[in-house]
Amino acid sequence: MVKKLILSLGALSLLFPAMAFADDPSAGTLNMGLNSIWVMIAAILVILMQGGFILLESGSTRMKNAGHIAGKTIFTVGLCTLVYWAVGYAIAFGSDNAESSISKFIGWGSYLFSPAVAAADGESLPSTIFFVFQLAFAAVSLSIAWGGFAERAKLSAYLVFTILFTALIYPVISHWIWSPSGWLFAEGAQDYAGSTVVHLTGALAAFAATVLLKPRIGRFNKDGSANEILGHNQVFGALSVLILWVGWFGFNAGSALGVGDGFFGYVAFNTQLGAAGGAVSALLISWLVNGKADIPTTLNGALAGLVAITASCAFVDPWAAVLIGLIAGVLVFFSAKFFEKIKVDDPIYALSVHGAAGVWGTLANGIFATEELATKLNVGRGGIIDTGSWHQMWVQLESVLVCGAYVLVVSFILLGIMKVVMGLRVTEEQEIIGLDLSEHGTFGYPEQMKKAQQSL
Amino acid sequence: MSDPVRAKLLSRIGKADDVVTLRSLRDQIHERMEALHAEQPAEQFYTDLNEVHDAFIRRAISLSEGQMARLGHGSPPVPYAYLLFGSGGRQEQTLSSDQDSGMIYGDPEEESELERVRDYFHTFGKMVVQTLERLGYPPCEGEVISANPFWCQSLTEWRAKLDGWFEEPGWEVVRYLLIVADSRLIYGENRLLQALKDHFFSDLLANPVIARHMLNNTMRHKVLIGVFGQLLKEQYGEDAGGLDLKYGAYIPMVNAIRLLSIQADIRETSTLTRIDRLYQQGVVSKEDHALYAHIFALFLRLRLMSTLKRDDGLYTNNGKLPRAKMTKELIDELKAGLKGVKKLRRFVQRQMTGRQ
Repeated sequence: MVKKLILSLGALSLLFPAMAFADDPSAGTLNMGLNSIWVMIAAILVILMQGGFILLESGSTRMKNAGHIAGKTIFTVGLCTLVYWAVGYAIAFGSDNAESSISKFIGWGSYLFSPAVAAADGESLPSTIFFVFQLAFAAVSLSIAWGGFAERAKLSAYLVFTILFTALIYPVISHWIWSPSGWLFAEGAQDYAGSTVVHLTGALAAFAATVLLKPRIGRFNKDGSANEILGHNQVFGALSVLILWVGWFGFNAGSALGVGDGFFGYVAFNTQLGAAGGAVSALLISWLVNGKADIPTTLNGALAGLVAITASCAFVDPWAAVLIGLIAGVLVFFSAKFFEKIKVDDPIYALSVHGAAGVWGTLANGIFATEELATKLNVGRGGIIDTGSWHQMWVQLESVLVCGAYVLVVSFILLGIMKVVMGLRVTEEQEIIGLDLSEHGTFGYPEQMKKAQQSL
Repeated sequence: MSDPVRAKLLSRIGKADDVVTLRSLRDQIHERMEALHAEQPAEQFYTDLNEVHDAFIRRAISLSEGQMARLGHGSPPVPYAYLLFGSGGRQEQTLSSDQDSGMIYGDPEEESELERVRDYFHTFGKMVVQTLERLGYPPCEGEVISANPFWCQSLTEWRAKLDGWFEEPGWEVVRYLLIVADSRLIYGENRLLQALKDHFFSDLLANPVIARHMLNNTMRHKVLIGVFGQLLKEQYGEDAGGLDLKYGAYIPMVNAIRLLSIQADIRETSTLTRIDRLYQQGVVSKEDHALYAHIFALFLRLRLMSTLKRDDGLYTNNGKLPRAKMTKELIDELKAGLKGVKKLRRFVQRQMTGRQ
């Protein structure tokens, strides 16, 4: 048997010598190929995070809105893709204006992006894959923003805001921090995978929306006390967190944008530690303070740990990753209480999970970043603990404040105009019936909801 | 000490001939008691108030007996004991307590009489409950009530029922046993209740499975104080910021003291009296006796401050201490009291598990 095989292989190599002595691909091509595989997988993981958002948002809200909430995510991811392809990518990464000083603030060129079909010589990654990866981030940021719209915004508001956010809000922040010509990039702002760019941006748009939309009917009483509007499925919630958690490996470790010396593994490692810290501390703090261990808080804690470690996963030591996660879990608990107290209705806890934890994660670099890793990545410097210098802390603070202010102001203006021109909120009657019926004419849970209606 | 207006009303309760008169007396006396409760110490107030409730319930039973006769059911065919359970049994009724009741009737001499006797008392139980409802006492939501045949049986049946419970002590059964532990005679023949209690205590103390279940049941409601010494208040809804005094303070303490008392073969039902007896029997120390009595008096006083409602003519409350009434001093008192309850619960835990 073995003999036969060797014999026939020998005969074949005589006939086709190229099989034995094919042209080896160059080291550069191999490198590019490996990078491509990893970043493409990462992009797919990040796109799969939308599945997490579908479950998170629908699980945290009521049955009567479930179909609407789930379905609109698919629609807005589609629309976001088209807008990012046509306009968003150009503003974020277009380099036609690289010579001009405007390029510090917005990019230009590559509208209706038409990339080369393969990587050019010397490129470490095909621009197609880079585009898909960046697009996936824009879509995540948008889905975060929907948290502030949940259960009361009109479908048309989702449509219009998808266009505005993807063209005018997200790509600008993305350009500032991640484009080589962006002004915050030049200052050395450290936001490895987007605690600020993706999460804080989404959260502040959600904040503007939830303030302009006002709380859902029945969320607050006249005396200022809050009512609990329970989500209809905690299992969806827990599954969503798991999906997002797994997707986050694409989000953070994929942001290495290559394989290189295997550094992306270190990023993944820190990501896992941060998430773990958040989940653990959130359950414990709710147990200690309220006397009962709260499941939604635990889920929020895991996500807050992930959000916080997103900026810092490549810049800090493992012990700091654990600490950043632990603090994020505690922070998200008190942040949710705070927003409730000031009567901001945040159905999916977007403001606390992505906003408060996003700010914390970005600032955490100012404290915990090490000089060694900052040098390795060639972004900014070490933080207070490693270097004793407050320099990086000020850069981080500046990027949070400036980016936050931009997103908040532009979101308020755009949503404010929308509110006046077209209205953001469904009628009271529609909100009570549920958006499944009012916006789509059919229920996500037909059997249960028909029964509920008959008993009205 | 006794208020003359209350005394006068009390004597009128005993003479009232119909439910409408009784009801108007209850409304009057409630106004009077509400005015009094600011001036009196809680213990005295509860003694006076429960005397009033007892008088109303006795009169309602007696009127129902007469009504039975007028409807052609005749007079009670055998002696009976009308029992109060729950806060009524413990003489801790507030201005708005519900009915928790049961009946034991004597065994008829002839076996053939049993059916007729049973019919009489089932009808009678329903009638008393309805009468009391018209006086503004809502029936117990858990159906622990003399109108429910489960809680209205002959002495022999009761004994058999207890034997069945002792043989198969599950979670539900232990709840029943704890209910029976608080039973008190309000009307009728005391010997019937005594016979039942003899049966109850003789078998109960020897059964370690029941003791363990009772401990679990007793510890079920958490004391509303957190690890940082903070009060665990209501988070949501119209009671947000308030404290669930009934289930987070009062009931845990009642349960703990009741369990210690059962173990010590103490048959008194009022929690304060039980605390006294526990001290006399050497179960708790002098300091702890003073501490627990003080804390329980505090809870009794605060219970009078919980939100009152007049729901469909019934006097009810939700057992919650509203946020508006929680002053700084009161919060400090509550925290100290709840810490004492935690100490008591640790003591109960040690006592019960140490003995097994």
